[in-house]
Amino acid sequence: MMNIFFKLLKREIKLSIDRISIITSYSSFFLMSLLIFTFGIGPDIGKLNELYSPIVWLIMLFSIILISENFLMHDYRDGSLRELQYLGYSEELIIFSKAIVMFLILIIPHFFLIPLCSILLNLNLTELISLSINVILGSPSLILISIISNLLTIQVRQSKVLQFVIIMPFYIPLIIFTTSRNPNETSDIIDLNKFLILIGFFLITLPIVLLSGKMILKEVNK
Amino acid sequence: MIFKLANPNRFIRFSDRISPYLSYLFILLMSYGLFLCFFKSPPDYLQGETVRIMYIHVPCAWFSLMFYSSIAICSFFSLIFKHTLADIISRALAPLGASLTLATLITGSIWGKPTWGTWWVWDARLTSELVLLFLYIGIIILSNSFENKTKGDKYAAILSLVGIINLPIIKWSVDWWNTLHQPASISKFSSPSIDPSMLTPLIVMTFALLFFSLQVTFIRIKSEILQRKIDIIRSTELS
Repeated sequence: MMNIFFKLLKREIKLSIDRISIITSYSSFFLMSLLIFTFGIGPDIGKLNELYSPIVWLIMLFSIILISENFLMHDYRDGSLRELQYLGYSEELIIFSKAIVMFLILIIPHFFLIPLCSILLNLNLTELISLSINVILGSPSLILISIISNLLTIQVRQSKVLQFVIIMPFYIPLIIFTTSRNPNETSDIIDLNKFLILIGFFLITLPIVLLSGKMILKEVNK
Repeated sequence: MIFKLANPNRFIRFSDRISPYLSYLFILLMSYGLFLCFFKSPPDYLQGETVRIMYIHVPCAWFSLMFYSSIAICSFFSLIFKHTLADIISRALAPLGASLTLATLITGSIWGKPTWGTWWVWDARLTSELVLLFLYIGIIILSNSFENKTKGDKYAAILSLVGIINLPIIKWSVDWWNTLHQPASISKFSSPSIDPSMLTPLIVMTFALLFFSLQVTFIRIKSEILQRKIDIIRSTELS
């Protein structure tokens, strides 16, 4: 079981190294969107500092939906998704390995994007650490949900808008909890409860995505 | 009974037989309900005449949730027992559920303006009802995005089953969070906090809307079955 999983993971990592340009596209999209938000809200650093969390999360959400196509669509188009299933790899493992690689690939740009954000949005060290932990704990759920939207629309032409429509309702609770601020929370205290909620979200999302992903993959390759 | 009706032809015969009675019951109850709402039910001591919107708003909100649950149950049957009629029922219920959710939001807004002083607030109950509307829209669009209807139905079934997580959030949002929206006045586990003079028209209107919804659903299911038959005939003629 573990051997098969590591084999799949190795395959995904190899493929992702070939598509390393994803990191550049992701980072450029992230920075451009940050710029647009700043122009939209205005240069008032106090206001930007207050809104940093929703800004970062919305940009992350959109960029993950846009980028996630690269991880599934190619495999579907060149037939390797079908081939993997015929070779007897379980659908859950295929989805899980894809999710892990997606997370690993997309977390890399954050090592320089989040500190850059902290400079541009005037965040202090506590806020920077809080945002980083938030991103690390929240993005797996974002990625898993985006995989489901991708799988559901994989056979639809012009599926981008549809992806946004069908998947947005599932992002709403996550966005509420990641961007909410405890009224008693000061910028020097890290809110641990929020992190626990994000871990809880991940633990709920993971089995649902694996189970529904399995059903969708079976339907896709019928 | 349910499995007997799972045969499309038998279902059409059953719906043809029952449809006139549903229409009569709807007209009767709606007329009586409107009479009670406008002439018999007293204005609220605090909200005044605007309370009458409740007689439409509350049944719509109940049915918006009930239809989503029905879609999820049908989706479960469709995925487990691979039954076509379950897909057809889901397809028939989704637009109706979406319309009722929209009606809930609109009537709630109309009621909110004089009561809360605003058309819309980002309150937990209102937001979750809006999310429900988006879920319905997603299901409708997804099921119609495929040339192969069966495939669209299967994907929509999976989406609706995943979306069922939202239902408890909507139902208990007013209890979990301190919201502007008042908590439930009619509960299964305790006596209702609503006066009988208001409870009677509310129940009558609820049944009126139920019979109306059933009638519309039967018509939609029948037309969907007939449409599928036409599609099969066309495809066999072409091949």
